[in-house]
Amino acid sequence: MKRAVRDIIIISVLLMLALPAFIFAGAEEEAAPTGPIDIVYWRALTGAAGDTQDELVVRFNEAQTRVVAEAQFQGAYAELLQKLLAGLAAGSVPDVVLLDSPFVGLFAKDGALVSLDSFVAADKTDFDLTDYVPGLLQDGYYGKNLYALPFMRSTPLIYYNADMFREVGLPDRAPDTWDELREFSRKLTKVENGETARYGTAFTLSRSSAHWYFQGGVYAYGGQISDDQFGIHLQEAPAMAVAQLWQDMVMKDKIAIGSTDPHTEFLNGRVGIVFGSTGSMGSLMSRATFEVIGAFIPQKVQRLVPVGGSVLAMPSTDKTRQSAAWDFMKYMTNAASNSYVIQKTGYMPVTKSAANYPDTVAYYAQYPERKVAVEQLAYTRPQASVISLGMGTEILRQMLEKLLIGGLPVSQVMAETTAALEKEYNDSYK
Amino acid sequence: MKPSVKNTGKANNRDKDVSQPIQTATPQVVRLIKKTSRRQRRNIIAFSAFIAPNFILLSIFTFWPIFYSLYLSFFKWNMISPIKKFIGIQNYSSLMQDPIFWKVLKNTFYLAAGTVFIKLAIALMLALLLNRRMRGRNLYRAILFSPTFTTSVAVAMVWGWILDPTYGLFRVFINSIGLRSPNWLTDVHWALPAVIIVIIWRSLGYDMVFFLAGLQSIPKDLYDAAKVDGASRLQLFRYVTFPMLSPTTFFLTIVSVIGALKAFDIIAIMTDGGPLNSTNVFVLYLYQNAFEWFKTGYASAIALILFVLIMGITLIQTRLSKRWVHY
Repeated sequence: MKRAVRDIIIISVLLMLALPAFIFAGAEEEAAPTGPIDIVYWRALTGAAGDTQDELVVRFNEAQTRVVAEAQFQGAYAELLQKLLAGLAAGSVPDVVLLDSPFVGLFAKDGALVSLDSFVAADKTDFDLTDYVPGLLQDGYYGKNLYALPFMRSTPLIYYNADMFREVGLPDRAPDTWDELREFSRKLTKVENGETARYGTAFTLSRSSAHWYFQGGVYAYGGQISDDQFGIHLQEAPAMAVAQLWQDMVMKDKIAIGSTDPHTEFLNGRVGIVFGSTGSMGSLMSRATFEVIGAFIPQKVQRLVPVGGSVLAMPSTDKTRQSAAWDFMKYMTNAASNSYVIQKTGYMPVTKSAANYPDTVAYYAQYPERKVAVEQLAYTRPQASVISLGMGTEILRQMLEKLLIGGLPVSQVMAETTAALEKEYNDSYK
Repeated sequence: MKPSVKNTGKANNRDKDVSQPIQTATPQVVRLIKKTSRRQRRNIIAFSAFIAPNFILLSIFTFWPIFYSLYLSFFKWNMISPIKKFIGIQNYSSLMQDPIFWKVLKNTFYLAAGTVFIKLAIALMLALLLNRRMRGRNLYRAILFSPTFTTSVAVAMVWGWILDPTYGLFRVFINSIGLRSPNWLTDVHWALPAVIIVIIWRSLGYDMVFFLAGLQSIPKDLYDAAKVDGASRLQLFRYVTFPMLSPTTFFLTIVSVIGALKAFDIIAIMTDGGPLNSTNVFVLYLYQNAFEWFKTGYASAIALILFVLIMGITLIQTRLSKRWVHY
């Protein structure tokens, strides 16, 4: 009896000790070289943008037999980044990953991504890198090497509530300039019993995109937030003017608000104009109980917007799976797949052949109002270099919070933000 | 008894004495010693076997991360780079110069003070109330306890809607009686109080149940004796109930303070630390640094400071408790 108890104890201790070994053995298991190659794709985003990725993965698996891809949902862009960090630290990474475009540099810098140049050079199919829209391919590069292919690319737009425009007697078009945005917002604002019941515009303060629309403003005013050498230009006239305009609209005119969830405000009829990605078009139009129209970001001295959205990159560490991952990346961005993305979500064509693809052409003929995304493609430019710093987007978001919620003087905020960005650059690169 | 007497007799020759009993030990004694040592050894093996499952898991998932975090706090590392750069105490010194860190520290203590005192006072009052015989007593207890077993994410989401500045239920209600509601979650001055209210609301029932249990374990005779001595109701509370409850109060104070210093989930969802970091607290700031801004070493330094703070505060509380806790 005693002996039996002792044996049980010993066996369970041994099992406990061996348990990690089993776990690690499971993780190390490789696909048999004969069967199809299994690869893992980490996707982000929900709603139409998420379903579209799942559907494309299914189609990829049906279209060929060499590779079996598995899509694993990881949450929003930011959550996917966190999991990728944990995966890198643990030495277990997916083969292909959806990345928010500014983060290519951050991961490529430290060797976490596989350079795609050798795959492009060795590719024997009719794959053609020059088919990709140059402005969109550009931020897949870090230094001279290509690390990512453009996938679900977007530009910032403004969306307005056309019913509300008619109600207050505004013309049936979007404000064309920033000054007009202010004027329209004033007309849309409604005050009831001393409280503002409706604002003209909601500026975005959310973590993921606050900086993006502000960049759009700065580009329109002819400036930039930072240059390729990480020189910060926030204290120059264009950025200062945009900051002052936004703050005046919120603090002085009280015709706009800063919101962390502007689209909910918009759908509830609390604001007339919001900023949004081209990728939000499908979801906003289907959820709204009123007519939603997407339009260009207002212009000032020029029409120019920062391009955003996601790219596909390859963290894979295994040679066989890398080649399978390359096939997968090509499939996901080919004309047929891209045309499907365009129709389901409102994202932009990433290749010339996708733009000319019969389905795409037919789709835009049917929904001409959705063509704004393609038209704005002519006025795009990559985002500011500081966006690729770990804390870059957050520092810019805090800047907007200080401007629109804190109401601090523009010159002080811009000086503080410049200092914070310079410090962040030194922390990241030195 | 005998050997000890003998030993004391030869106290001036210790070395010899110590070896003496073993040399002169009978075979039975030798066997006894061997037997006990074998039993002891077996006991040690059994003891290790019993604690091994817990100890191994704790080592892997608790002790190792703590030490690794201490180690990382002396490095600059973004979790991506294969190289961790040793920078000494620079993470700690830049923390000391980080205005947001000080703000976060202030918020955390404000939150702890706000939740702990108000919450324990209300919980005690409710417990006293619901300890009396009254109709529907169990229903009230259940209702008050229910937020405790509601998922914190759901709590945060629903309260977020209730306190929403434009269409929130609270605003609608307050406006309907002719008052102005503050913009709870978007106002720098009101956001932290809003968060405190929600955290109190959520954990009130838990504390109340502990107070109820404490109240019910107070012997009736104490009250009877005090009443015979002519104690008023206030005196009954002051001299019987409160001292007898003090172990419960002490336990709840420590648990609540630690809970407040570790506050994360409700704040992350309701305000995400904003606006302007007015609701940012220790653990949230740590999380943001580590997983949103890729500053692993910096975040580890924050974690270590939090560890030291919690440890220190708990030690101080334990010290102070000797003055007012009666077991």
